[in-house]
Amino acid sequence: MTVLSLLTLLFVVALSSFTSATSDYRESLDLQPLPQSALLASFNFRSNESQASFDERHFRYFPRALGQILQHANTKELHLRFTTGRWDAESWGPRPWNGTKEGGTGVELWAWIDAADDEAAFAKWITLTQSLSGLFCASLNFIDSTRTTRPVASFELMGDHPASSNLHLLHGTLPGEVVCTENLTPFLKLLPCKGKAGVSSLLDGHKLFDASWQSMSVDIAPVCPRSGECSVHIDQTVDIVLDIDRSKRPRDNPIPRPVPSDQLACDTSKPYHSDDTCYPLESTSAKGWSLTEIFGRSVSGACPLTENVDQEEPVCLRVPHEREVVVASGAVETKKPDGFTRCFTLQPSTPFDLTIPEQEVTTHVPLDEPVLSAERTIVGHGQERGGMRIIFDNPSDTNSVDFIYFETLPWFLRPYVHTLQASITGRDGLHRQVPASQFIRESFYRPAIDRERGTQLELALTIPPASTVTLTYDFEKAILRYTEYPPDANRGFNVAPAVIKLDAANGSNHPIYIRTTSLLLPLPTPDFSMPYNVIILTSTVIALAFGSIFNLLVRRFVTVEEAATLTAQTFKGRLSGKLVALRDRIKGKRAKTE
Amino acid sequence: MGVDHRKAAVFGGALALRLLLLVLFPSLPDLLTGRVEVSTPVTSFKRLQEGLFLYTRNVSPYDGGVFHQAPLLLPLFSLLPNAQSFPLPTVVFYSLIDLVNANALATISDSGQAVSGRFYSALRKHIRWDGVSIAAWYWFLFNPFTVATCLGRSTGVFTTTGILYAFSSAVTGNSLNAMLALGFASYLSIYPALLFIPLVLLCYDQRAQKAKTSSGVASFALQHFAIFIICIAGLLGVSTLLIGDFYTFISATYGFQLLVPDLTPNVGLWWYFFIEIFDSFREFFLGVFWLHLAAYMGGLTLRLRRQPLFVLTSLLGIFAIFKPYPSISDASLYFALLPLYRHLFPLMRYTFFAISALLYATLLGPAFYHLWIYAGSGNANFFYAITLVWSLGLSILLADTIFAALRDEWEHDNPELRGKEVRQV
Repeated sequence: MTVLSLLTLLFVVALSSFTSATSDYRESLDLQPLPQSALLASFNFRSNESQASFDERHFRYFPRALGQILQHANTKELHLRFTTGRWDAESWGPRPWNGTKEGGTGVELWAWIDAADDEAAFAKWITLTQSLSGLFCASLNFIDSTRTTRPVASFELMGDHPASSNLHLLHGTLPGEVVCTENLTPFLKLLPCKGKAGVSSLLDGHKLFDASWQSMSVDIAPVCPRSGECSVHIDQTVDIVLDIDRSKRPRDNPIPRPVPSDQLACDTSKPYHSDDTCYPLESTSAKGWSLTEIFGRSVSGACPLTENVDQEEPVCLRVPHEREVVVASGAVETKKPDGFTRCFTLQPSTPFDLTIPEQEVTTHVPLDEPVLSAERTIVGHGQERGGMRIIFDNPSDTNSVDFIYFETLPWFLRPYVHTLQASITGRDGLHRQVPASQFIRESFYRPAIDRERGTQLELALTIPPASTVTLTYDFEKAILRYTEYPPDANRGFNVAPAVIKLDAANGSNHPIYIRTTSLLLPLPTPDFSMPYNVIILTSTVIALAFGSIFNLLVRRFVTVEEAATLTAQTFKGRLSGKLVALRDRIKGKRAKTE
Repeated sequence: MGVDHRKAAVFGGALALRLLLLVLFPSLPDLLTGRVEVSTPVTSFKRLQEGLFLYTRNVSPYDGGVFHQAPLLLPLFSLLPNAQSFPLPTVVFYSLIDLVNANALATISDSGQAVSGRFYSALRKHIRWDGVSIAAWYWFLFNPFTVATCLGRSTGVFTTTGILYAFSSAVTGNSLNAMLALGFASYLSIYPALLFIPLVLLCYDQRAQKAKTSSGVASFALQHFAIFIICIAGLLGVSTLLIGDFYTFISATYGFQLLVPDLTPNVGLWWYFFIEIFDSFREFFLGVFWLHLAAYMGGLTLRLRRQPLFVLTSLLGIFAIFKPYPSISDASLYFALLPLYRHLFPLMRYTFFAISALLYATLLGPAFYHLWIYAGSGNANFFYAITLVWSLGLSILLADTIFAALRDEWEHDNPELRGKEVRQV
């Protein structure tokens, strides 16, 4: 009996350890001050669920709402991005997570759907966008066939999928979507601690959407280790770049005020320096800040659902070790050997705050040089036609860069691919026109069809070292039916950002992604106030032509005298005359047939 | 011999003018190609180049929203050198097409079919233009509209060639060639098919006039209808071999012309109307507009049975106004055929008004388009108003010539009433 109960106990223990091994939750926050008083905060939340329990709809940390949507829409892998602002690569360096957790401005969604054919996949895709639209309070339901593409080379599977599955990749963007706090709330609800505890308690819509750049992402993919059971991983991130000065303004007094003149740091060496002129002096000391000042609140303790709560170090800070950092009591600081990173443990239900005083610094955290910088703009003037100009700059002096350039254009922007031209500028500043085929290794082009699908262009490009390559092509702007314009028609239409996928560099498995900014395309507009007038005026001209021509055709000529006698007759007389004429005609016909 | 010298001089002059314009203003062809008055979505040379680009790279040009022209143009233009780097061969090619058109026009004029036919001979046939054929060439070859169309490299000129060649074959009695040429024109852009009935009548009259013993008009028409259909079917068959997917190219070319999904501004009446029309009425008015365009064919053919060439000319005028995608090349074709009816000019009543309206629209159209699209100081109504004036001017001219033709016919029937005041009842 005791042996049996002992066995049962062992089994239960084994089971519980088994489930905890396949289903867990981790979260982290990385803080890194960037040049120009910016602060990058990267929040990351990961959890997973074994494939078996996922299929049985048994969810522990995995959000049930999302899991059910995925099962309903046959979606095997999902990537959803909400982004606002622009990552300033020139001053901030390479993107967090190498750009893999970033989206284009607005909303970007791509998913691999298991379906028998393209139509079935598209039907499931519509189901998916409609459901996600409801879940995230975003206009994802506006991703219709004109905004959906099937990229060929720009995206690759993150997870492991059985070879038998017939996966279809679909990609949709909403560049005009304004990401705001109504998207953050459902995002936080997906987390096991729901933003009440752990690092997610810092996320406040007021501060988050006041940032210079922010990106929220949800990635779901099945992962199958070499040995063991497959599990479905969900990875949520929030990356924000905050302006320290701006974020430190108190919420009840957010208007910036001029610095009093006695507190100004002026360059007194300037010849024009006087009481009323000041050349501002660049501050050499690093800004001081604290979590409470920046985020408006402190971390309300560790999330108790985290695996090994005591040993985890969820908050990490990347500043030189010489900098002084004050943390709340109870937190343990560990300095990493790289000289720039230190991490902190959190106590459950003990608030955590972190303060960095203003300090003169001599060493800076090194920033890597971006591998490639890209810029895309619309050129030309007028509402009839324009041109697209894409500039790629390879900063490396030795290595050429290979990448895939992917862009989707709305159908009312009609590109002329035959006008695609390239020019190259070396470091010597010489500008040379060269055939585009010199840089394009491969291309995939699917032209748009009016009101059915957008243009899809994927180019495999190679940019030689130390040079800037400019690609240009012409396009024409279509004029739409007046009901197809949005209420603010003269603002223009948003064009989705281009996506650039660089091949994995220095041994890492994941590629690097770069996205350009979204573009604003002004279209010719009709006059919205006068549909009735147009219908009436056009109809009048047509009626005039029709009336005058058919009037000539159906009447016969008579002299003016005859006309006078005809019009002089009374109505009765004319009627009887017509009757007589009709009778004569019938009689005449009869006579003929006889 | 003297005439030939003049002809050669005129043709040479026309060719030289076009080449001179190209040499003096190298950007002129591209500028004209971009003008909405010259290039429509179904005739634009830039769209043709895009289609050609895709075609030569084995992408179906019809699986997209840009190219809507007939498939046979693709292999034709792939023989010419790239117009972007070598503009001269293309312009020379288009100028030669213009000369071919002018030659057909001269044949029509020389036949005298405009003034005397099988049933009818105009009273004022002595009032001809001083050398009508030359006048026609001047009206055609040196017409700024024709020159602009030629330099703008609109593919509408091939339809013009088909139509003019059909007419010239018909007046010289070669009815088989007439049907083949009309089939070619209808294959390129669907609307010339509406010219079939008056053209068959013209051919029949020619045949009857020459042969004396004429077969029935019905069997003659059926025979020629079969030729016409076979010609179109043959061209479509070759196109299918070329493109592969029959349904795709049919819906991208003829479906596009019938359903008018692209509302790019042009000189016609359709585009702004279909921008502004309420969605629920769109299909209804599409039907009404096409029905309206087709209605003139029956009315004119019945009433002016004795002058089929005049019916054809007037129908071309109607197409220039009421087609879904008209351009100034359609108007220039009408203006080229109009001088054949020099004898009707004394009978016209509103010439001054019509010509003033047309000049007004020609001068103000580009200005108002600029105000709307580039300067932003005007709105779409500016250009729309000009297209209304243009259509109104053309329809007044058209109605006036029809009046003159009917009056001439009436005076022919009642010689004693010639010159009297008339009224229509």
